[in-house]
Amino acid sequence: MLALFRHWVGALSKFTNSIAMLANVAGTLVVLALVAVVNYDVIARGFFNAPFRGAVEVVQFTMVLIVFLQLPDVVRVNRLTRSDGFLVVIGPRFPRFTAFLRHVIEGISALFMAAIAVAIYPEFIEMWHTKDYFGIPGVFTAPWWPTKLAIFLSASLCTIIFVLKILSPAQKPELIKAPEHEDSK
Amino acid sequence: MTPIEIGLVSVIAIVILIYLGVYIPIALGVVSFVSIWLMRDNFDLAINLLKIAVSDSVMEYAFATVPLFTFMGLIVSKAGLGADIYAVMSSGFRRVKGGIGMATVGANAVFAAVTGSSIASASVFSKVSVPQMLNLDYNPRFAVGVVAGSSVLGMIIPPSAMLIIYSFVAEQSVGDMFLAGVIPGILLAVAYVAAIWAMGRFTPNFVGGRNAEDIEPLTWSEIAAKSLPILSLIVVVLGGIYTGWMTAVEAGAAGSLLGVFIAVVRRKLTLKLAWEALLETGHITAAILFLITAASIYSRMLGLAGLPNELGDLLAQSQASFFMIMLIYVILMLFLGTLLDTASIILIVVPLFLPLIEPMGLSLVWFGIVTVVGAEIGLLTPPLGISCFVIKATLNDDRISLKDVFLGALPFAGVMLIVLILLIRFPALSLAILN
Repeated sequence: MLALFRHWVGALSKFTNSIAMLANVAGTLVVLALVAVVNYDVIARGFFNAPFRGAVEVVQFTMVLIVFLQLPDVVRVNRLTRSDGFLVVIGPRFPRFTAFLRHVIEGISALFMAAIAVAIYPEFIEMWHTKDYFGIPGVFTAPWWPTKLAIFLSASLCTIIFVLKILSPAQKPELIKAPEHEDSK
Repeated sequence: MTPIEIGLVSVIAIVILIYLGVYIPIALGVVSFVSIWLMRDNFDLAINLLKIAVSDSVMEYAFATVPLFTFMGLIVSKAGLGADIYAVMSSGFRRVKGGIGMATVGANAVFAAVTGSSIASASVFSKVSVPQMLNLDYNPRFAVGVVAGSSVLGMIIPPSAMLIIYSFVAEQSVGDMFLAGVIPGILLAVAYVAAIWAMGRFTPNFVGGRNAEDIEPLTWSEIAAKSLPILSLIVVVLGGIYTGWMTAVEAGAAGSLLGVFIAVVRRKLTLKLAWEALLETGHITAAILFLITAASIYSRMLGLAGLPNELGDLLAQSQASFFMIMLIYVILMLFLGTLLDTASIILIVVPLFLPLIEPMGLSLVWFGIVTVVGAEIGLLTPPLGISCFVIKATLNDDRISLKDVFLGALPFAGVMLIVLILLIRFPALSLAILN
């Protein structure tokens, strides 16, 4: 019974993880777009005196997409900011308590992400129906609803990933998990 | 409980939860959410504030500096610019006692002007300069201490992620904060070099090492090839901001493009590396901005509780002098620095103190520099000195324990404290470039 449950949790994790990675790829492409848009504006304005109107709005829009498309993957790879020195220190001596504490933390996190999803959902529905936009009419405008949808889906996915983390066996704690110091010289 | 009591309890609760290992944005968000709910006895209000914080705080134009400068920093370290400037510096300092240490500081200072993260500096230089210092018989503790100490420059000398975060909390311009960081950063680098000279003179055993006569001096053309790319980046980024030709966001984008160009010309950039840098940029951006989102809920909560104003009244009644307030502030940051990372310290402490600083007629730009330097000391102090962890993890050498790294970094933490006192005493050091 337990084995079957574990199996399903594992399968489900695989599924949500691949969605998170997919969203991450999309978010990464948005980073590239951000670099391109701002440079286009700088060059067009500086050398051809033809600024790209709406650069500010596009940048704001991309920021929301970058953050919320990447957030589930940040949760997946345990890169959300934390100071887990305490857990690492007590880990070897009280393994069961540490595992319990980790699960409580994932639980609280799941609740918080769920609260964000609940808070943002009505906003998305409203924007979807009213077709409200931001920016300056006649210069550049973008609808609000895609940003709200991105936040809602992102928070929901984070909630699910946290819940699945509770159900999966606790991971081995590490002090540093930033892959940025694996770069080449 | 009165709102003030709830506010006070929630600040303490946040620190305890973070210490227990709760994700920092989650701790900030959950505790603030519950406090708002309890204070106003209104669940809908709490949900509403959560909604506003989540959907609005990320949509700040200036935040685009975070991914842009992160990407630029990752690309230039992958292009090997850090190692290059180190080679130039170590050739210059090769006849001096402790010269490799000074070269590490100098290279870090220059490298810091193109990256915004101490983690990046710590990892690059533990790989480049620690092995060379060990080869020249330097004391291992000194070798890792220099790298740890000078990695801090990455977050003070602009572009710096911490200055961006502060500018959001205190509603200052990112460009102003960047320019204000230049002189304090150089001052700290000079203080480190002086400290290394003094250590070599008075405690030669701690430094160790022998003269590096066997390092081949570089020819002028080599020096140019190794230093011009990084200098051109610095001119574009800082020059663009200083002259007002570009906003900080645009400078970040231009710097990223130039960084990619340099990496491509030097044939250091494969598609795989570029993709990794982009992925990494996304992760760092999401983590930092989610932290900022949570912190904006927290500062709303503090505002509702009236805690900062209450604190201000309390200090006004007690006739606390400028000296006392700064003393309390520095001690608080040093204490939190033993547990928390720099960004979290800034986000937790600054909203509490801003209402005290503003009425005293003090510059918020100056306050930001003091905050960032003070909070950064925590990168070097046990038990949770992030820079020291990174160095230990990057070196992966059993001869050097984490304790060695901390002990080696201690004198440099001391130098930072002295520089911090100077910066507090002489605000002109931070403000001169702006005026």
